[in-house]
Amino acid sequence: MRTPSSINGLWGVRVADTASRRILVVDDASLVRMYYRNALERAGYEVDEALNGLEALEKLLVRAPDLLIVDVNMPKMDGFTFLRALRRQEGDVAATPAMITSTEAKTEDFEAAQSAGANFYLVKPIPQETLIDYVAMLCGPAR
Amino acid sequence: MPLIRKSSGSDAPPPGPDFEQACAGLRSDQLDERWRAARALAAFPQAAAVLSAAVGDESEARVREAMFTSLARIGGPDGVKALAPHIRSDDAAHRTGAMDALKALPEGLPTVMTGLLKDPDADVRLLACDLARELPAAQATALLSAVLDADTEVNVCAAAVDVLADIGLPEAVPSLRRCAERFPAEPFLAFAIRVAGDRIGAQAPPRG
Amino acid sequence: MAELPPVTEEEFGRLCEFLYRRTGMIFTEAKRYYVERRVHDRMEATRATSFASYFARLRSDLDGEIEQFVNAFTVNETYFFREDHQLRCLTTDLLKRRIAVKPRNEAVRIWSMPCSTGEEPYSIAVWMLENWAEVDAWDIEIIGSDIDTRVLEAAREGLYGQRALMRLTPDLIEKYFEPAPGDRWRILQDLRDSVRFTTANVMEAAETAAHGRFDVIFCRNMLIYFDDTSRRVAAENLFESLLPGGYICLGHTESMSRISPLFEVCRYADAIVYQRPLGGARG
Repeated sequence: MRTPSSINGLWGVRVADTASRRILVVDDASLVRMYYRNALERAGYEVDEALNGLEALEKLLVRAPDLLIVDVNMPKMDGFTFLRALRRQEGDVAATPAMITSTEAKTEDFEAAQSAGANFYLVKPIPQETLIDYVAMLCGPAR
Repeated sequence: MPLIRKSSGSDAPPPGPDFEQACAGLRSDQLDERWRAARALAAFPQAAAVLSAAVGDESEARVREAMFTSLARIGGPDGVKALAPHIRSDDAAHRTGAMDALKALPEGLPTVMTGLLKDPDADVRLLACDLARELPAAQATALLSAVLDADTEVNVCAAAVDVLADIGLPEAVPSLRRCAERFPAEPFLAFAIRVAGDRIGAQAPPRG
Repeated sequence: MAELPPVTEEEFGRLCEFLYRRTGMIFTEAKRYYVERRVHDRMEATRATSFASYFARLRSDLDGEIEQFVNAFTVNETYFFREDHQLRCLTTDLLKRRIAVKPRNEAVRIWSMPCSTGEEPYSIAVWMLENWAEVDAWDIEIIGSDIDTRVLEAAREGLYGQRALMRLTPDLIEKYFEPAPGDRWRILQDLRDSVRFTTANVMEAAETAAHGRFDVIFCRNMLIYFDDTSRRVAAENLFESLLPGGYICLGHTESMSRISPLFEVCRYADAIVYQRPLGGARG
């Protein structure tokens, strides 16, 4: 199993080297997904969406994204459970960079995210400019 | 011919455990026994309390899931009251399990909604807004408009707006507007309120 | 006929999200044309003058509108080799993984539930005989179950019209069917004797448990009609009905992601299927 700690960088992120990056947004609030999508598409990224951790797992097996933006509170499978399941997958997809978004801002929540395998943590609500800055940092520019 | 057909009739399964046996099974150290016990308890309305007490300590995802399913099947005010406290859990998977089960019990939700929406913990209020999605539109609109008018937490208001964007009635519009004014420096909330307002506006029946 | 405006991007998105939340069905961009058509059909049938008013009707499930809408996509008419990509997945990927962990003297057990008038279980039998290299090396038990006793009677009869056979080559029809009166075909006695048909209600644990455990279950286009709690119960019963490591296949528009977290998703070349974990504790 490849864990983020085995890769160098900000909580262990390696910048992807493919062109035209694809972001999978995982959040059960449709307005949040819409808000992120607007910002990401304006910045040139391709965007896919999932409503919960189970759907995200299915989607990333069909087409691996360059970055995951994952909320914590979701039906059927929460963000941390999803991350742990992601890091257990076989192949390169297990090392996909993942940003956790959460309404929580306590140290123990950052640490829980890191143990689950997150590479970064943003506290909601997240303005569009902030999101794009950190997405670019985690997986590079759109093209 | 490799295709065979078993000629015997169905094997009748053994009868299910009684209430005491099932409660004892919940404490077994065998996963499969706890799984069977959790499922069997759905048949006993009085099991809501014992299931609620056990689910917090259950480490196996599948058994926890079965416990929540049984609580949803028991349903009614007992089921809802047994489930509601679990949305406070520090464990995300636990909260998710409780929320999924509560969302399956829309008729029972009104009994706990007002309390949850006034909870001192903002996380609880936020999740309660999401539960309001399962209520009839008029009721959800009234409850969530009150949240927009008074809640101090921007994320709670955003959660309320997300639900109103889905099912809100025109009565929500004044509260949406006032909420935007209360939080002038929140771009996501402003965006969400705009979308919600547009969608609710689109509901108006065509004239002529 | 009045011209109805096309469904906008946002309306399509909201409709898909609603249907996914309620039924677990997934409609991709590829299906957009069919979804729009269906929306317009239903708007006409219900005399809705705007998407918003139709959507309100759908949301409230007035007069069973959800089922009305969804029916167009789960055509009740079944036929042989329907969704053959799953049959291909069965013989290419699923069975080899199953036999790698099964004791030699155990039968490979496959459940078609609901089986309706039998096209699905007979298809599985024919497909395996034609496509599985190991077919002679293993005992294979195929069971078809349904809650509706009338369709089970028809399944046992094994009589089908031309439409049911439309995906079969003339060679296959000649090999596995005999002509029957009324321009129909009857599946051969050998095959009718090989598939067992039983009544079962997926909601009743006692009924599903009585069938034992299976290597593969085909459960297509049934769970989308259930409410949340019923779907959970059915998922638990189906989980119980699988051997550890066994697989369950849903309809091609369905996803377990709206139904239950009990199963693990597996992606193979021909299909996405769901697996009961082999065993061992997971967080």
